[in-house]
Amino acid sequence: MEDLLAKINNVAIQKFGAQYAEARAQKMFKTMLTVKEERVEAAKQGIESGVALRVLVDGAWGFASVGSLDGEILERAVSDACRMAKTASSHLKTPIKLAKANVITDRVELKPKKNPADIQMEEKIKTALTVSKASLGFDERVKSCTTDYLDLTGTNYFVNSEGTSIAEDTLYVWARTTASALNEGVFTFSREEIGSTAGYEIFDEQTPEDLGEKVAERAIKQLSAKSLRGGTFPVVLGPNVVGVFVHEAFGHLAEADLALSGDVLASNLGKKVGSDLVTFYDDGTIEGAFGAFKYDDEGVQTQKTLLIKDGVVAGLMHNRETAQKFNAEPTGNARAEDFRVEPIIRMRCTYMEPRDHSFEELVEKVKQGYYFKSFRGGQANLDGTFQVGIQEGYEINNGEVGAPVRDASISGNTLETLHKVDAVGKDFLLDPGRCGKGQTAFVSDGGPHISVKEVIVGGSA
Amino acid sequence: MVALKKDLMLSLAENAVNQSLKKGASEAEAYVYEGQATNIGIELGQISKTNRIIDRGLGIRLVANKAVGFAYTNVIDDTSEVDNIIVRALSAARASKPDPDWKSLPGRKAYASPEKTFDDKIVELGSEELVNVASTMLDAAGQVDKRVFPVEGGVGGAYISNAVANSNGVSGFDKGTIVECSIATLAREGNSVTPVCFEFNASRSYEVDPVWVGKEAANLAVSALKTKSVETKSTTLILTQFALQDLFAYTLINAVKADSVQRNQSPFKGKINEKVASENLTVYDDGLLSGGLHTSPFDGEGVPHQKTAVIEKGILRSFLYDSYSAKKEGKESTGNAERAGYLSTPSIEPTNFHVLPGNKKSDEMLNEVDDGLIIYYLQGAHSSNPVSGEFSVVASPAWKIRKGEITHCSRGVMLAGNIFELLKNVSLIGDNERQIGQLISPWIQVENVRVIGK
Repeated sequence: MEDLLAKINNVAIQKFGAQYAEARAQKMFKTMLTVKEERVEAAKQGIESGVALRVLVDGAWGFASVGSLDGEILERAVSDACRMAKTASSHLKTPIKLAKANVITDRVELKPKKNPADIQMEEKIKTALTVSKASLGFDERVKSCTTDYLDLTGTNYFVNSEGTSIAEDTLYVWARTTASALNEGVFTFSREEIGSTAGYEIFDEQTPEDLGEKVAERAIKQLSAKSLRGGTFPVVLGPNVVGVFVHEAFGHLAEADLALSGDVLASNLGKKVGSDLVTFYDDGTIEGAFGAFKYDDEGVQTQKTLLIKDGVVAGLMHNRETAQKFNAEPTGNARAEDFRVEPIIRMRCTYMEPRDHSFEELVEKVKQGYYFKSFRGGQANLDGTFQVGIQEGYEINNGEVGAPVRDASISGNTLETLHKVDAVGKDFLLDPGRCGKGQTAFVSDGGPHISVKEVIVGGSA
Repeated sequence: MVALKKDLMLSLAENAVNQSLKKGASEAEAYVYEGQATNIGIELGQISKTNRIIDRGLGIRLVANKAVGFAYTNVIDDTSEVDNIIVRALSAARASKPDPDWKSLPGRKAYASPEKTFDDKIVELGSEELVNVASTMLDAAGQVDKRVFPVEGGVGGAYISNAVANSNGVSGFDKGTIVECSIATLAREGNSVTPVCFEFNASRSYEVDPVWVGKEAANLAVSALKTKSVETKSTTLILTQFALQDLFAYTLINAVKADSVQRNQSPFKGKINEKVASENLTVYDDGLLSGGLHTSPFDGEGVPHQKTAVIEKGILRSFLYDSYSAKKEGKESTGNAERAGYLSTPSIEPTNFHVLPGNKKSDEMLNEVDDGLIIYYLQGAHSSNPVSGEFSVVASPAWKIRKGEITHCSRGVMLAGNIFELLKNVSLIGDNERQIGQLISPWIQVENVRVIGK
């Protein structure tokens, strides 16, 4: 495989004068399941293989993707990519250059305790059905439960014209379950997600029964929740909400391609943008975490990247192109969803570093506010406005967690909000997630509990 | 790469069905897909990326012992690979558990021939032409104002074809084209950065106006530079199509899927022929609409597309069905089993979700608002409660309307409410319809929505 890819890169360099060429090949197996209540909608298996070819000609990118490993087809595809890049280069103002990257030869083999590829379909179906049964059996007011399961195994090959040649095994196991409850005309909805790059043993650590009960319990609790009053309030955020806040509100602004677009972080590099308590990382090295890997899709080794240290912007997430523009090192954040698409800057495991407060200490300072424990969706904008939807929240009255509130969201300006972080907990949790930026990336987000002096809370009451 | 011919695609699908039956399936369906796309990408203010993506694949859904199995591959020119996935689909079905509600795959019906879904000019588009369109759009945006920066965008043409066949005699082939040009801009002045302002054209025929797209996006960004806050209160909103598409996709659309209704996930359950919205609101799902972005003769299981009345003058008329959910109620499928390529089984989705236009001109709508907001883009619509319809989102940004005039922009304004209440508070419907994703709609004015300012 590596020889074939090197040969195709050579065509780009020698025949079309490309400055740089890379070829990524993938062979993937997938199992997918959707269980609705106790019905298996369809048990699914898939095989995919294909090649992505990317070339830099006269400072412009050309990219071609084909679902084939045939030498002739690949040669035609790389020729197309080179010709198109040449056409595009006619309008370039600033030719693209790449930061230096180490030349690497490596074979990364995974040895999972339980390889999902070796687990029988019956077993996977049983796992998904167990989640559903636990959820529906929790309370008769739980009316529906949908459980999706996915595993993906295979090998990614990366060869570039600089001599790097990598074959890395890939493995993802992921499940999401949602439950809806209905009582006297009130509808609620709840979601739980688990994911791992270690193996199927994740279901030994987080059993399907627990997962089903957890999703059902929230749906039931929410039945008695009230709509909340919108306005500006002090809040305590749980690790699950902090994680998505770090990812959405700050993480995207620290993706160097978006910083170059002129987002609010661009003018704040090296500056203090948050309270002393704020330290964020994006880390691709956490073993088994959803979003961890050894090499990114430009053949750069992953790392633990410091984004903010004690409130000061310390770094950005780079690919080779942006690293060159910032005169920085590539950070291993170039990821492609699969061979059909180009690598772009993506997060890995993004989190806030814990400090010293207990949960009780965080809550007791809040006179009247909210405790937001679990999120449903979040989105950032380049002007620094963030939004995080909340699927589980509670009132805080005089330092005590009170009645549940429903379907709220929080918003604010990231840089203003980071200054308002006034206490950070000592606990820590990392949750798996999927991030959309044109392509889907498997990531993790996390942190400790924190308290924030004020955020805008959107509620309809 | 030369596109696969109709006969070849159909015979691939039909052979896979026959092989599945031979290997022991009681019923089988095969779906063959081909997509060829060429795109020119704008990044950081310049045209710097190009790509050509060719994707082909075959998905097989089959039934054994009343259990459904599915497998796919993107290697379709190798019969042993196709045999391999038939075996995998069969083993998946056999590992599964029987579904007592499974009746059968749909039968054969005649297809209509919808108009304006294919244009040779798009198939023949070369990268030179696409680069020129991108360059025109970029220049148009740049000429509006020096403070505008085009963050990203692109121009692309795609050819998509698919064939579906099943063991009940269904056999269909369709090919279509689409062209898109889009640009996302922001404006900067001092330390002030606007939210991303986006515009696009998408069409099944080669009809794009890159100058309009570039100018519109840039004008919006400039108008978002100067901001003032708005107060917290309940107020009138004009929702443009961007906002409506985002909001409906995560709330209303779930509520009209038969699957959600049957599984007690829709507040519309039991409300057929009841009033669920203002009288001025009529919504059709129309998979045959001339030139619609989601128009084609048949759905992902080969059932003919049709025009289905969902809401007529505020009265709920029908849900959207695939053949499984329809057979469960002894009904006919409405042709809403849609597929995301060959990688998965069909699921219920709207085709072209068409909110019928009213007769108010957009400037008349604005003129008649005494005090309200006009909303283009939303942030966080996907965090809405997909069952209860409650939403709590950010307008990014909102523009204030005072005595019929847009007075200023406001950032970080939150909107909170419930989609089913909102539908009852629709006061005006514009005449300016356009399609964004599945939604074709004009502007809609709603009353009494909770706005949380700073």
